[in-house]
Amino acid sequence: MMKTTHSIGLGLLLGLILGSSALAADGGNPKKGKHLYKKECKTCHSKGDAAGELTPMSKTMAQWDRFFEKDMHKGKPEVFQKLSEQELKDVQQFLYDHAADSDQPQTCG
Amino acid sequence: MRTLISLAVASALGFTPLLFTPQSLAADNTAANDQAKIERLQQKIDELSEELADLDTRVNKTERHTALDRITFSGDFRTRVHSLHYRDVTWNPGIKMNFDDFGRRAMAGEYGDPMDPTSPLGKMMAANPDLAAAFMGGQLAGVMPWALGSTNTYDIDNDLFYTTRLRLDIKANVWENVNFAGRLSMYKNWGDSTGVQVFDSWRSFSMDGTNSGNTSGDWLRVERAYFDWKNIGGSEFYLSIGRRPSTYGPPSHIRENEQRGGTPSGHLVHFNFDGATLGYNLGEITGIEGQVVRFCYGQGFESQWGNGELFGNLVTEDTHLGGLNIDVINDGNHFVQLTLFGAKDINDGFKGSMAFPNELAAIFAPTMYQDMQKFDSFNFVTRVQPSGVIGDMFLGGLGYVYESDDDFKAFASLGWTRAESNGNAGMFGGLLTDATFTGKLSADGSELMMVPLAAESDASHDGYGVYIGMQMPAPGGKFGLEYNYGSKYWSPFTQAQDDPIGSKLATRGHVVEAYYLFEVNPRMFIKLAGLYYDYEYTGSGTPVGAPAKVDDVMAGSAVSLLPVVDTAMDLNASLTVKF
Repeated sequence: MMKTTHSIGLGLLLGLILGSSALAADGGNPKKGKHLYKKECKTCHSKGDAAGELTPMSKTMAQWDRFFEKDMHKGKPEVFQKLSEQELKDVQQFLYDHAADSDQPQTCG
Repeated sequence: MRTLISLAVASALGFTPLLFTPQSLAADNTAANDQAKIERLQQKIDELSEELADLDTRVNKTERHTALDRITFSGDFRTRVHSLHYRDVTWNPGIKMNFDDFGRRAMAGEYGDPMDPTSPLGKMMAANPDLAAAFMGGQLAGVMPWALGSTNTYDIDNDLFYTTRLRLDIKANVWENVNFAGRLSMYKNWGDSTGVQVFDSWRSFSMDGTNSGNTSGDWLRVERAYFDWKNIGGSEFYLSIGRRPSTYGPPSHIRENEQRGGTPSGHLVHFNFDGATLGYNLGEITGIEGQVVRFCYGQGFESQWGNGELFGNLVTEDTHLGGLNIDVINDGNHFVQLTLFGAKDINDGFKGSMAFPNELAAIFAPTMYQDMQKFDSFNFVTRVQPSGVIGDMFLGGLGYVYESDDDFKAFASLGWTRAESNGNAGMFGGLLTDATFTGKLSADGSELMMVPLAAESDASHDGYGVYIGMQMPAPGGKFGLEYNYGSKYWSPFTQAQDDPIGSKLATRGHVVEAYYLFEVNPRMFIKLAGLYYDYEYTGSGTPVGAPAKVDDVMAGSAVSLLPVVDTAMDLNASLTVKF
């Protein structure tokens, strides 16, 4: 029992020392990003659109990060310009979290 | 490439524009200067060409690697230490005897002359004088418990129990609308790779459906392997066949700190199945995000192949499962799931392996036990198969998971199970009913054995389960709280949950769990958890045998062939890395 207490105590201590949260876009809220993505991005990037279908799976996590850091939607910059810095972070976090190489729900279909 | 070279040349020329102007020609018209500049330019071009050749070689290698490396691996690795504490473990071995049938056979002389101490019946009466007296006195009639040993109650503490779990997830894109997914998993406890455990509970039985959640040694097993063929013929239909993703389903994935890990409700099904799913993405028509209707089919038991069928004396049947699994909505904030399926021709067990417990040999195999006592730390490993069909089962459930935008999660799941016994029973019982035993002579007529005669009842029984919980952001990570309850006849297919005490969601009684997740980084977390089990009825995790009140077993008024746990606690700490 004493050993158990020590083990759990050590785990707790490690957790407190090491515990931290890191996100692709620090401070981005992926849930809010999803709403923005559906509202702002899917209007032009749905199936059959001239701009081409785009989903989070279209790029890898690193590619989405690069897109938001360097490209900034240069093909049509006004799309990004009308969004606040926080909103962009939210969308970036959502796309990063659901990118082609991110963890995916493991279901059939 | 040309563009790059042009840019490089332009760059190189950048500091020499005057070279091509009349002013510069006038200022500096020496051939030596021109030659020097040309040589520098040539050197630059040579360097760039060399670098481009190197890049070309590297890109070719990458292209080739991408084309040939068709499988993507990811996974996770978990090390966990448990402290397990069982309270009031009671073993009161016994069977339910049909004394009417036994008496009729005894009076007919089937077991020999009771007055002859050398006859099988005479030997049995000599070995059980109290029982013999009660029987001869007419006190034993109908179906009554027959204790085969004394009631023994004790506590068990396993202060340190370490496990390691490795899961390798495989993905491969077969075609535009076809992909393959699989998972190889190793789950072992430290210091053991025998692959079998002494059979002291149904949890310890190594079998196809539960191997992924039961420590089985240092080899990789195929937990799941299936393909998805989507948008068949341009429609919203998809077909998936293989070893199903039927573990870690919602809402049980939340405590695992991972995304949905399987298709069916984890409250009802956490079991490895081989089968197929025909699904339809209904959301594309209704506009409700994530709405999917699935018809699932599987086979849980193969009755012939591998069972010695060529001897021509098999009495088991294939077990087939079928039903509907519907995601009503799954939009990231709200998830509603409906489940309804049935299993036809349930047998009184599965094919599997066990280390035979010598304690049962002492009761049921006295002749063999004489020699086994000489090797009391030896257990022979045996392959077991069921002895017959005991009925059909149905399961249903409704689950809801809410996830707020700020990562607060709450869920509630209601489950229902129904078992329809056909009146048959094996040694451990029928479908949620006990076996009644009678006497039978061994082949050489020398020994009177107790054998199952029939099930005590062919009644149908409904069981109910509730599973609620929440998870909230907390300093450094997340805090979670869960509770589940199962009624007397609650019999879900969740035996592959890897809780060492036993699948918590299969508990006939109450389980409370609290945990704290410390997120070291997005790919690594520490989890501290505590689970408290309070079993009300026996037989959690198996539909075989009648559930008895744990209190009655402890009081000695009910018998059980396997030890019964009253309460248990699992304190554990784990470190998980995802890669």
